[in-house]
Amino acid sequence: MVVVQRKELTLAERLYLPEVLRGLSLTFRKFFEKPITRQYPEQPLPTDEVTRGQPRLVVKDDGNIACVSCGMCEIACPAYAITIDGGETDRMIEREPKKFEIDMLRCILCGFCEEACPKDAIFMSNELELADYTRAGLVYDIEKLKRPKSALQKRIDYVYRLNNRWRSKQ
Amino acid sequence: MEDFVKELPVWVLWVAKVAIIFGGLVATAALMSLAERKVSAWMQYRHGPNRVGPFGLLQPLADGIKFIFKEELIPAGANKFLFRLAPALAAIPAMMTIAVIPIGTIQIGETKIPFSIAQVDLGIMYMLALGGLSVYGAILGGWASNSKYSLLGGLRASAQMISYELTLILSILVVVALSGSLDLGAIVEAQRVNGLWNVFTPFGALAFVLFTIASFAETNRHPFDFAECEPELVGGFHTEYSAMRFALFFLGEYCAMTVMACLNTTLFFGGPSVPFWANAPWYVGILAFLIKAGFFLFLFIWVRWTLPRFRFDQLMRLGWKVALPIALANLLVVGAWVAFSTKGS
Amino acid sequence: MTKIQINGREVEADPKQPLIRACHDQGVDVPMYCYHPGLAPVGSCRICQVEVAAAPGQPSRVVAACRTPVSEGMVVSTDTPKAHDTRRECLEFLLKNHPLDCPICDKAGECDLQDYSFNEGQGKGRSSEPRRKLEKRKSLGDVIVLDEERCILCSRCVRFFTDVTKKAQLTVEGLGSRSVINTYMDKPLEGNYQGNLADICPVGALTSKKFRFQARVWNLSKTLSTCGECSRGCSISVEALRAKEVKRLRPRYNAAVNQWWMCDTGRHALAPLTRPLAPEGAVLGGRLRGAAVRGYNGLELADDVAALDLAADMLAAHPGAAVIVSPFATQEEAKAALALAQALKATPQFVSPAPNGLKDDLLHTGDPCPNRRGLVEQGFTALEPAAALAALAAAPAAVLAGERVLEFLGHEGLAKLPTKLRLVAFDVETSDIPALDVVFPVPTHVEKSGHWVNVDGHVGVLNVAVPPPSGVRRLDAQLAALAAKLAATPARS
Ligand code: SF4
Ligand code: SF4
Ligand code: SF4
Ligand code: SF4
Ligand code: FES
Repeated sequence: MVVVQRKELTLAERLYLPEVLRGLSLTFRKFFEKPITRQYPEQPLPTDEVTRGQPRLVVKDDGNIACVSCGMCEIACPAYAITIDGGETDRMIEREPKKFEIDMLRCILCGFCEEACPKDAIFMSNELELADYTRAGLVYDIEKLKRPKSALQKRIDYVYRLNNRWRSKQ
Repeated sequence: MEDFVKELPVWVLWVAKVAIIFGGLVATAALMSLAERKVSAWMQYRHGPNRVGPFGLLQPLADGIKFIFKEELIPAGANKFLFRLAPALAAIPAMMTIAVIPIGTIQIGETKIPFSIAQVDLGIMYMLALGGLSVYGAILGGWASNSKYSLLGGLRASAQMISYELTLILSILVVVALSGSLDLGAIVEAQRVNGLWNVFTPFGALAFVLFTIASFAETNRHPFDFAECEPELVGGFHTEYSAMRFALFFLGEYCAMTVMACLNTTLFFGGPSVPFWANAPWYVGILAFLIKAGFFLFLFIWVRWTLPRFRFDQLMRLGWKVALPIALANLLVVGAWVAFSTKGS
Repeated sequence: MTKIQINGREVEADPKQPLIRACHDQGVDVPMYCYHPGLAPVGSCRICQVEVAAAPGQPSRVVAACRTPVSEGMVVSTDTPKAHDTRRECLEFLLKNHPLDCPICDKAGECDLQDYSFNEGQGKGRSSEPRRKLEKRKSLGDVIVLDEERCILCSRCVRFFTDVTKKAQLTVEGLGSRSVINTYMDKPLEGNYQGNLADICPVGALTSKKFRFQARVWNLSKTLSTCGECSRGCSISVEALRAKEVKRLRPRYNAAVNQWWMCDTGRHALAPLTRPLAPEGAVLGGRLRGAAVRGYNGLELADDVAALDLAADMLAAHPGAAVIVSPFATQEEAKAALALAQALKATPQFVSPAPNGLKDDLLHTGDPCPNRRGLVEQGFTALEPAAALAALAAAPAAVLAGERVLEFLGHEGLAKLPTKLRLVAFDVETSDIPALDVVFPVPTHVEKSGHWVNVDGHVGVLNVAVPPPSGVRRLDAQLAALAAKLAATPARS
């Protein structure tokens, strides 16, 4: 059983008014301190490779996305945000997505897709902002998801570092 | 200039004064809604509204536009007539009471024009009578909404306002006894002539404290805002209100605050009189009045963002068991003192 | 029956079957690649090795379970370290040249190699040799693509042709590490059973051209059903992508009907199941979206109830209507049609298209009526399309009911019918037939449940694999509603 010991109040405290004045003086002093608010759109949040923003598809240096539509991310996604329809391609990889959609309204930015991808084709970018006028506009297709590899390089290196650390413990 | 003013028909002056004072009151209320947010923000290391206009100064305008364009909802089963009437009942009496506050005197050449809408002998009676009406807004709004939260909020508001009205009146009576008049102008004049504001007399000081506490309760402000009390009652008596009707309740609250601040200034702080400068020019007087009233307005906000809300039983205990006996005793002693001291002289 | 001991359990085993079957029958998992219950065992992959002793207490050794016959008193252990080790070593060799293709491989998700590697294999390859570089997209005819790199040379495909179709077409070419699967003389594969290769290949070496990269198998919902392409009624599984779009039909084992196989005609009969809907608001140009009646501008979409009223009115006003159902009609639909025929005092008949010449001695019967036997047993008379058209031309009114009934009667012949004929039809799709007055939509056979009776009297089951388009009701319910409406409509003459 928890017994809460209440503090005996002094007369001044019970009179209340002195305490009121003390409180007022406290808030008054705070009045002149510098705000710590971040003025968001003008001062965006700092992001780095650890930031888990929205997932994006890597465009390799040859201009193609690395994805082979294996569906690993789709099945790993806990939010059922990803829908992929594959198809044949003449490229070496034989298979590529004909439709690759991430419903950003569903995505919970968990990064499972990044972890599941066997082809290093999807990575968490540092893009965090998400707004549109329609729901359909927030279902991102391949074109909206494409990012050049250079834009994601920091994250890619980070993931590799992380995985290597994990591997060396095996 | 002086001749021109003298020759103006009387009604032009009235209209001008009404326009200035009411306009000022509404503008003050609007600015207060901004000030409330700004001050609270500064006290909490924040910026407060700063997107609309320079330093967010146009925020009240944006709010007003928003309120006008929002949809008005009337809950099913609400008493439509009373539901519509209540916001007006809350706002109008609060705005009308400003009429008798002597803000100062405008002097053009030798002509002196009292800067208040009406100079009534029974100014205090007028104020108290109208001020008592504002409880109708809360209770009718709460009752007509057909919602349990609103009803509870309305009931609390009325219980609280009636309880603290006693203390309020008793502490005003102390001032009346001290200055011997019910005319607010006379009260101010008495303080100016004595060179001593009522707050600096022992009884006046006590009355001032009681009056301030009661004025917080009367205007439903923190720490006594039980009529709204969001954690328990959603929004209290105005839970079901939206758009302009909701804005009217808001306006009423801020007008009542403004009037209370003016009244406090008038009763205890010598209205427009300036300490140690008995013959200050008229505009300095008006400025002094505004500064004093402004301080009390700031006090309202300051207290709100400092003190936590009472419990309702604590509020009632404070009202009936502490404030009222003290106020009564104070009045008795003052009465006796005044009676005997005048006899003795 | 022979008594043997598997993993410490006394069990009875069929002496005519290899040991691996006894294990599987007992629910003991033994991996296998080259063994297939429908093919002669060869014992080439060695993944099925288990530890066997002739009798309790006897020395044990590791043998391939698919090539070992059961013998009385034999003691089998599948779970010993020795068995696991041998299998793991086997697997390592099998994976030596296997590409890391799973992300693009169609087999992934239902691949034996993947499963066993996951269960038994090791995380890393130890081989320092390069892998074999072979052809990745080698077409073996119209149906099958071979990925030579993925092949583990189990020879199931080779034996399929020698054992099942009895016409050898594939062979292992080359020796040792240069072996690859190829057809004789590089000729494309032929025959109506090539599709089965994609099923029996334990890895993703043989894949179906039609299904290639269409879907990941774990996104497919699998529903037990029956093939409707011939009166054999092979047991199949209807696999639909995200339970919406039928992507693949595969045989499922049914000892009494089709064993493990099905023909390519049935396997690729997806078009009738994936018909697109007619454009919004239109009657023609795709699947019917709702009931349609003949108005001033031809067939127009109409309210279901109003259309039913109209149909009942017409049939009541023109006694002597003919009732002809589709050969696809299920037993349940046939029953409802029978009741309707009785109400109309008509002879129940069904369209019976001529044999399509696909008959072979394995599965295909050549008869495109999946429920012929069931319909005949219920008292329906078979009617050649020509005879049916003649009968229709003579009748005052007619009810044509069932999936694809108009197609089987022939749209051209139907278009020539006299317009004074009062024609009520229930079908998935219609053409602009002048005589057609009212037409109702019906579900396809993968969108409804029901039963067909195959040529041997075996009952095949139909289940709902994909939902029918919204507003499309079961045919038997619609026929019953029409019969009820007729009963309530006073006869006129
Ligand atoms: S981040 Fe998580 S939720 Fe978002 S798409 Fe990837 S797996 Fe799905
Ligand atoms: S896991 Fe990677 S390769 Fe596979 S579908 Fe997703 S993004 Fe493409
Ligand atoms: S055959 Fe099996 S193991 Fe090989 S790539 Fe395909 S899925 Fe992976
Ligand atoms: S192609 Fe498939 S079935 Fe044929 S030998 Fe290779 S792995 Fe076996
Ligand atoms: S399954 Fe027994 S050796 Fe291949």
